[in-house]
Amino acid sequence: MIDPLESLIRSTLTDLAEEAPIVHDQLNRAERRVRNRRRATVTMGAVGTLAAILIAAPIALAASGSDGPPPAVPSPAGPAAVPDPSNAPPGVPSRPNPPATGPLPAISNEPGPPGVPGRPDQPAPPGVPGQPGQPGPNTGGAPGVPAPPTSPTIKPSPSGPIAVPSPAR
Amino acid sequence: MDEDERARLAEFVGSRTPALMRVAYLLTGDRNAAEDLFQSALARTIPKWETIRHADPEGYLRVVMYREQLSWWRRLRRRRETPLHPADEPVGADPSGGSDVRLAMRAALRQLPPAQRTVVVLRYYEDLPEARVAELLGCSVGTVRSRTHRAVQRLRELLPEIELLEVRR
Repeated sequence: MIDPLESLIRSTLTDLAEEAPIVHDQLNRAERRVRNRRRATVTMGAVGTLAAILIAAPIALAASGSDGPPPAVPSPAGPAAVPDPSNAPPGVPSRPNPPATGPLPAISNEPGPPGVPGRPDQPAPPGVPGQPGQPGPNTGGAPGVPAPPTSPTIKPSPSGPIAVPSPAR
Repeated sequence: MDEDERARLAEFVGSRTPALMRVAYLLTGDRNAAEDLFQSALARTIPKWETIRHADPEGYLRVVMYREQLSWWRRLRRRRETPLHPADEPVGADPSGGSDVRLAMRAALRQLPPAQRTVVVLRYYEDLPEARVAELLGCSVGTVRSRTHRAVQRLRELLPEIELLEVRR
């Protein structure tokens, strides 16, 4: 059984189809559309790529600009150096141990820093002057024992007699 | 595309354009929209011509038209268009010599949404079974059934005099 509404729909559609417009030269217009669509696709792709580069480049530069950690952060690379009293540099006082753990380290046993040069007004005791050498026939003779560093040294003149350092100076 | 292929394509378009334009006009209900739909479908078919020419180019073009008519982008673009005239009726006598009921049916078909109108055209103009319609539109048979049912129901609501016609018969 055919529904009258369905038959009416069929006949109306058939009538409508006969009124369809007659068109010409559809192929050329469609080919123009293809070209435009392809051009639009390429353009949009280029614009998208450019936008992605413009957005990503500053981010990438910011991320790669600082390889190491910030200066305030301690470097986690090596263990912290343990202070060694024996290797302490001169003038830097060594840290004493906590008082509850034991006696203080014997700092006096450790070698001290290099000697402080003596004051000029208190000269070190002069050394025992050597006996005047008896010049040998061949050599000029050994000079006396040099005075301590605080006393000036007089270079012997090769031609003159050997000077004996004065204990007064 | 070489010259031979283009000649075959031109021959195909020239020979099948009237039939395809009829379908496009039924799908859209508007002359300009029908031409635009056909060109758009043809523009999508031309790049595939070398692969489909040995198979069924007309079937491919029809499927593109059906799906293009239902596409979301096309619906969006159609919404932005403002028709210059309220109706695109051809001026002149009704070739069907139709009654008021047929004219009312035309107006009612034009008021159907694109999805329902497409199903109505495929079912009642192309005389395709539900399974084939579902395959062409890429949806399930249930969807085709429900769309057809809603379309017929909507037509009954828009044409109350149809019920009187059936009662009189």
